[in-house]
Amino acid sequence: MGSSRMKILPERAVVIVGGGLAAGLVARQLVRQGIDTLVLERGGDSRGGAESKIPSQRDELRWDTRHGLMQDGALETYTLRRSRSEASLPMRRLSAFLPGTGVGGAANHWGGQTFRWNDHNLALRTRFEQRYGRSVIPADMTLQDWGVTYVELEPYHDLFEKLFGISGKAGNLRGQIQPGGNPFEAPRQNEYPQRPLEITEAGLIFKETVEREFGFKPYPSPAANSPDPYVNPDGMRLGACQYCGHCERFICEANAKGTPEVLLYPWLEQQPKFELRRHCHVTGLDFDRSSGRVRGVQYLDLATGESFLQPGATVVLAAFTLTNTRILLSAGIGRPYDPESGTGVVGKNFCYQANSGIALFFPNRWLNPFLAAGCTGTLIDEFNDDNFDHAGLGFLGGGYIGVNVSSGRPIGQRRLPPGTPRWGTRWKQANAEWYAHTCAIGAQGSCYPHRENFLDLDPDYTDAYGQPLLRLTFDFRENELKVSAFVTEKCRQIGRAMGAAHLGPVSSRTAPFDTRLYQGSHVTGGTILGADPGTSVVSPRLQHWDAENLFVVGASVFAHNSGHNPTGPVAALALRLGDDLVRYHQKPGRLT
Amino acid sequence: MNSSDVSSRGRRAFFRTAVLAAGAATLNPTPSQGAPGDATPAPAAPVGYLCFSPDEAAFVEALVEVMCPADDLTPGGIDCGLAYFMDRQLAGPFGKGDRLYRRGPWRPGRPEDGYQLPLTPEQFFKAGIKAANQACLAAHRRQFPELTAEEADRMLQAFSTGDLKAPVFGFSEWFNDLVYPLFTQACFADPIYGGNRGKVFWSLIGYPGLPAVNGLNMVKYRGKPYPGAHPPKSIEDFS
Ligand SMILES: Cc1cc2nc3c(=O)[nH]c(=O)nc-3n(C[C@H](O)[C@H](O)[C@H](O)COP(=O)(O)OP(=O)(O)OC[C@H]3O[C@@H](n4cnc5c(N)ncnc54)[C@H](O)[C@@H]3O)c2cc1C
Repeated sequence: MGSSRMKILPERAVVIVGGGLAAGLVARQLVRQGIDTLVLERGGDSRGGAESKIPSQRDELRWDTRHGLMQDGALETYTLRRSRSEASLPMRRLSAFLPGTGVGGAANHWGGQTFRWNDHNLALRTRFEQRYGRSVIPADMTLQDWGVTYVELEPYHDLFEKLFGISGKAGNLRGQIQPGGNPFEAPRQNEYPQRPLEITEAGLIFKETVEREFGFKPYPSPAANSPDPYVNPDGMRLGACQYCGHCERFICEANAKGTPEVLLYPWLEQQPKFELRRHCHVTGLDFDRSSGRVRGVQYLDLATGESFLQPGATVVLAAFTLTNTRILLSAGIGRPYDPESGTGVVGKNFCYQANSGIALFFPNRWLNPFLAAGCTGTLIDEFNDDNFDHAGLGFLGGGYIGVNVSSGRPIGQRRLPPGTPRWGTRWKQANAEWYAHTCAIGAQGSCYPHRENFLDLDPDYTDAYGQPLLRLTFDFRENELKVSAFVTEKCRQIGRAMGAAHLGPVSSRTAPFDTRLYQGSHVTGGTILGADPGTSVVSPRLQHWDAENLFVVGASVFAHNSGHNPTGPVAALALRLGDDLVRYHQKPGRLT
Repeated sequence: MNSSDVSSRGRRAFFRTAVLAAGAATLNPTPSQGAPGDATPAPAAPVGYLCFSPDEAAFVEALVEVMCPADDLTPGGIDCGLAYFMDRQLAGPFGKGDRLYRRGPWRPGRPEDGYQLPLTPEQFFKAGIKAANQACLAAHRRQFPELTAEEADRMLQAFSTGDLKAPVFGFSEWFNDLVYPLFTQACFADPIYGGNRGKVFWSLIGYPGLPAVNGLNMVKYRGKPYPGAHPPKSIEDFS
């Protein structure tokens, strides 16, 4: 794609790369103030297609097993090595995590668990050092404070919850602990806009057990699944959730899931200052090093095969963790991270999550796993963050623990007691016997940065467009193995107390990282934020330290990954960035 | 053509006839649970393979009959459409390498790196059949379709545990990461793909299939047997 053959288009005020959740939220704040905004998205629409209509919507093989909605790994995948001394291998079938594609991004087919992250997470290094002393953080754990406080983000969390009709129960309302909510959550100004989802039978068993046996405080998972019909502040509507068990990995056929394709893009496309260009695969940025400014965005129009340079006064990268990092690396903006010296920043602090679970079997309880929504979960935070004393434990971090019942889809979600044969009559018998009577207790384990876990460009492998693939150097290191062992053991204890007749194998997350197993799509880092230009890619206001008119948003800016799902803070940061860009548009310069 | 080819062909012909003759009755193992209006016969089973050769078909038919023997719970694997499902999946986009990154360099990996061969899934599946038949010849002097059910079962165990090594690749990856997933998909995917004929596996476990609405059921049947699972509904029922 020689830039000589690139057609140069007229400049736009704000050009956003990627048309997913973060992009839609940034754009909303901008066009409300009448600022010209263009979004470039590589994919098309899912509204009205087979993926969104009954009966084809309920096709487990097509959408779930075969990943019909996700990024096509034949075109672009990632390579992996577990240490710098190994050769990388491509993940030839994307399975461990599943980046989205198309208007609305992965948040069209997300589950919808929507958390706020508290001040502990935003000032992680400082908090740990204050409580346990400076020596508690191992030298190879590159923890950093975010340079952002919860108070700054609270109004944006609140706005996102209203825009997406989030359901849940407050646990901390302006400092007052609320019964039935999560007492460990950061104080919120307002109750959730919608009531919690109905609890599942498995959730009831979990709730009764942890209250009675352990005195824990279970709470309903906060959910972007709408329990009732809902109208958001923009007048956009959600239907009522039908608990159909085809939610995460699917497009909601009832329009009852808070997603960008239902709540953001239809509204945006009615606004005169907004333009969305579909099927535009962004290949790079045109960066003028001497002025420290990005001239514009290079893209390939997949509908015509033409290459364009789209100039922008302001450019925003909102193309998910992996593309955000890859574009900065290929454009040479910011110093690539070097694990040898520990210097450089782009690609640094790549994190995943150490998720684990144990199957539980209750012969006498009808758990009916198919009566479920993406977020019908009942959770506890007693072993998350720093809500428990880490002194002497030998690790930092934790995870939420709970019973998430989101589907009984029979290809992927059947569970059988250990020792069951894998085929034959007894296998069939066991399926018949146990299908309606199992659930899993799981933990969403945090993952803190490690000096040797990072992203760079692969020297050998390219995508379908001829560009280098992004290379992950990653494995679960000692801290995460210990976190996972700890929270998984808590799962086992609770599972026993719940009275399960059988427990599945107690398998915490282990090394080597297994690319074949889905472990959640929460990959973070690579373009991290921070107050120090020497150790971060973007400022706490998401402005690139080396390119004043370039901003980055998404979980790529997270300095670590926690024991809660990431999209709440992604959304809050995106809405705040939208407001910041209104200021920047009026008065360009370094944002403070 | 050797004698085993002949006998496996004869066996397959027998299975096909059985499918056609048995009609709807054997396709629904729990007819008593169906609503009266649901007694419509299942559509005639499609006959013929798109991508399997006769020898490959014999192997797969024998495989699904071992993994899903006819019993009180379901008809045998062939009558459940399991071999047909695998044939169609391997003949279609999945088998041809859809969504699979297929650029070099090709490097050997560990199992945790996932599939790393240049072969398409269809080619890999078939290469595995050849190697598996050879392993059976070595162990029993007969190819897989000619083994007794017990012998075949033990061979599958050996493939799955990695106790047996194929000359070029690991049987355990072939079996566990390709054959076995296709088997469970064949049992539990929507019948529109050709397996799970008559929704037999959904009925067996009590999966209701494609509920259009469940809002009220969520509360009404919390902790109780769910009557909507009998009979389950598939894509065809909504089409
Ligand atoms: C199955 C699943 C379940 C999930 N469940 C949850 C959950 O319960 N809770 C939670 O917090 N999070 C969940 N997530 C994660 C959540 O979806 C993401 O955190 C969220 O979508 C991130 O928003 P984003 O805007 O950064 O990325 P996305 O929403 O994915 O948007 C990025 C967009 O950029 C586009 N893009 C990428 N590269 C290019 C390019 N080169 N050119 C042009 N466009 C490009 C993509 O096509 C995509 O549309 C889930 C994810 C998956 C896959």
